[in-house]
Amino acid sequence: MPQHEPSSLLATVEAVHWMALAFMGTVYALRLWWLFRFGRASDRSAPGNPAQSTALRGGLYSLGNVVMPWAMESTRKPKGLAFYATFVIFHLGVVAGISLAFLSSLDRALVAGPAAAWTLGTALAAAFLVALYRIARRVLRPVLRLISTPDDYFSLAMLTVWFLLGVCAQAHVAGAARFAGDAYLIAFLLATSFFLVYVPFSKISHYLYYPFTRYWIGRTLGHRGSYPYSRS
Amino acid sequence: MSESQKSYKVRKLEELLRNKKLPRQVVGSLVGCIHCGMCHESCHYALSSPDDPRMTPSYKADQIRKLFKRYRDWTGRVFPWWVGAHTPLTDEDLERLKDIAFGTCTNCRRCTFNCPMGVDTATLNRLMRGLLTSVGVMPEGVRVVSKDQWEIGNQMGVLKEDFLDTLEWMSEELAEELGHDRAAIPVDKQGSKVVYAINPREAKYDPRTIKSAALIFYAAGESWTMASEGWDQTNFGLFSGDDQLGGAAGRRVFDKVAELGGERLVISECGHGYRSTRCEAPNWAGVTVPFVMESSVMTMLRYIKEGRIKVDKTKNSARVTYHDSCNLARSCGFYEEPRELLRLVTTDFQEMHPNRTENYCCTGGGGAMSMSEYAPRRLKSGRVKADQIAATGAKIVVTSCHNCVDGLGDVIKHYKLDCQVKQLVDLVAEALVLDEPKPAEEAPQVAVTAAAGAAAQRDGRSLTGRRILVVDDEEDARTFLSMVLEDAGASIFQAADGAEAIRVALKERPDLITLDLSMPGKDGIETFTELRRTPQIAQIQVCIITGHPEFRKLIYDRPVAPPEGYMNKPVKAEDLVANVRRILELEKRRA
Ligand code: SF4
Ligand code: SF4
Repeated sequence: MPQHEPSSLLATVEAVHWMALAFMGTVYALRLWWLFRFGRASDRSAPGNPAQSTALRGGLYSLGNVVMPWAMESTRKPKGLAFYATFVIFHLGVVAGISLAFLSSLDRALVAGPAAAWTLGTALAAAFLVALYRIARRVLRPVLRLISTPDDYFSLAMLTVWFLLGVCAQAHVAGAARFAGDAYLIAFLLATSFFLVYVPFSKISHYLYYPFTRYWIGRTLGHRGSYPYSRS
Repeated sequence: MSESQKSYKVRKLEELLRNKKLPRQVVGSLVGCIHCGMCHESCHYALSSPDDPRMTPSYKADQIRKLFKRYRDWTGRVFPWWVGAHTPLTDEDLERLKDIAFGTCTNCRRCTFNCPMGVDTATLNRLMRGLLTSVGVMPEGVRVVSKDQWEIGNQMGVLKEDFLDTLEWMSEELAEELGHDRAAIPVDKQGSKVVYAINPREAKYDPRTIKSAALIFYAAGESWTMASEGWDQTNFGLFSGDDQLGGAAGRRVFDKVAELGGERLVISECGHGYRSTRCEAPNWAGVTVPFVMESSVMTMLRYIKEGRIKVDKTKNSARVTYHDSCNLARSCGFYEEPRELLRLVTTDFQEMHPNRTENYCCTGGGGAMSMSEYAPRRLKSGRVKADQIAATGAKIVVTSCHNCVDGLGDVIKHYKLDCQVKQLVDLVAEALVLDEPKPAEEAPQVAVTAAAGAAAQRDGRSLTGRRILVVDDEEDARTFLSMVLEDAGASIFQAADGAEAIRVALKERPDLITLDLSMPGKDGIETFTELRRTPQIAQIQVCIITGHPEFRKLIYDRPVAPPEGYMNKPVKAEDLVANVRRILELEKRRA
């Protein structure tokens, strides 16, 4: 529990965001239960090409795909590689924001030091810039406009604001924006709470499904012998 | 219009989706898309239509995703607009979905391999097709082919007697070439180790591949047979999304192999046939197959490696490249063996790029060749493939798939590429060396070329005594067709338009008419209908020869008996003679 001495408003906000976390965990558990209520399709066909791959190999390779931009053509070509870089920055920003939110309420000193402050602050600032780019991309590219739902826009906008608030909150925690009191941190934690409550209902919950979808497609294609990728 | 006014078909589709058993792998793909657009440039449709965002894979998959969210995912039920849940209301809406699912995706799975989330868009598109098919919404070509596969037992409606006649004819040709009948095609031979299943296209349009395979089995000393029923290894269930048809068609083949006591089912070169029979049908049919199933490519490769057949690769010295069928490479992991075989039977192999699991679709996948209404879009999407082929400088594009043969053939013609398409079986047969003397020859070792080249030589005067009417408004085409058929021994009559064709047919009563479709005045479709409706000439065999594959549907839609043959321009001399012979031969046998 928090070791610093927060104002009563900040203490309330901190408690709320822990509750939001619990709420998110509960809804996630329900969503996983919902997903796993659908039956598993097992492949009755004989392994396609065991010399090339197996279900297990395909599944594991597929899980590792996220750190292998050279694997897929879509992330290997220059344009895709650039997008992959923005993906990395964006998600590091998410990790930084979540770390800031929870570590600041557990032990503010952990995120107040210059090393942590610069690391988290830079990650959040870079993610904020990437998020702006992503908004522009989604709004300007006809393909993305066509496939985007209101949730897609809102989730991205919400994260953009959250990254910005994160930069300000980090500056405050590191002692750089004292004039605003706890306002930045309170705003950031409230945004985090909203974020935690909203994500299980939005596309952001993709990271919950991600390990499963990747593993399943890898297993399916690995059994057939066509995964890992092959080209010359 | 409100939801309460949904059409009957929409309500039915909704009921089907609500009750459908969806595996969690598919549900994962339904909920896993983040609309990042990374798959966009992996799709040949999207690449060739950069101004049309509807060609992007996620848009296509979103069609079923919207329905799933509406009916099965509670976020879509609570906040439909927010998460993009949506339901069709009218039959027109279903027709629009049909055009997307069948007309803008060949289920090639290339986008699946390029999705960072592991979303299997091709499987989702197949799911959409299956739901539409279940409520009777599908392209006419898919309906016809599925019906034939359900009712006649093969997707091209080849009747049993015609099939057996074709096998007998091929056996006779082999006997003629070899001077003995030991290479005759065995039918329903109990206890054979290998049962060979083929694509009906082989029996219907180009039986030379059956003969090539028979020659190879004979040369290898294989104990093999073909089945008189349950021989169709293709499966339209894969394309229509109908798992029931998929299971039934698969079971037919499996049961026949079991009945014949076969140890191994060898599947002739066909991407979707191999995938559906070898990999999907056991799942659709819910059976575990007790015998080995392999592609004929594996069989031929094994024969060479085991020294059961000898090949001379210098027989195939033209530059070849290899096109990976999507179904073989991406869905079955089958891409190294064809290359290994190709290197053994050809001298100049040039890799196509990208290849293997990254290869682009031939444009004919997903049943696209049977949906002529989408042909213009399909051919437009072929630009990507055409560029790939052109970059290799190859004179022959080799593929292990019958669908790809047709798809690539159209691409080559449309983009005016200077090459032709062959299958591995053709090249192996060309390179085959038989350790036996040919009749009336003393040479100890004679190369027997059983495919196109030899066919052309042997076909020499094979149409002697036949009377053929060539109908084409283009003089060059008429002259070429007439010359080839005349060289093969036929007596030729010519007509430059439909009216003249009817007149000459009534006067001369030819055995066969080759008919162009696109002609001024009375066009080929009208002419064909009139021919069939005029009792004196209704029985004349007709082979359509056209430069417009998209007209195929129109001709088969006529309420008259279909033509006996169908060829796309440009036609090769040997193919023309072989097809005309096939039609006349089958007609003779029937008579
Ligand atoms: S299918 Fe995959 S690559 Fe395409 S938009 Fe969805 S998540 Fe992105
Ligand atoms: S499966 Fe193939 S044709 Fe269909 S959307 Fe994906 S890449 Fe395009």
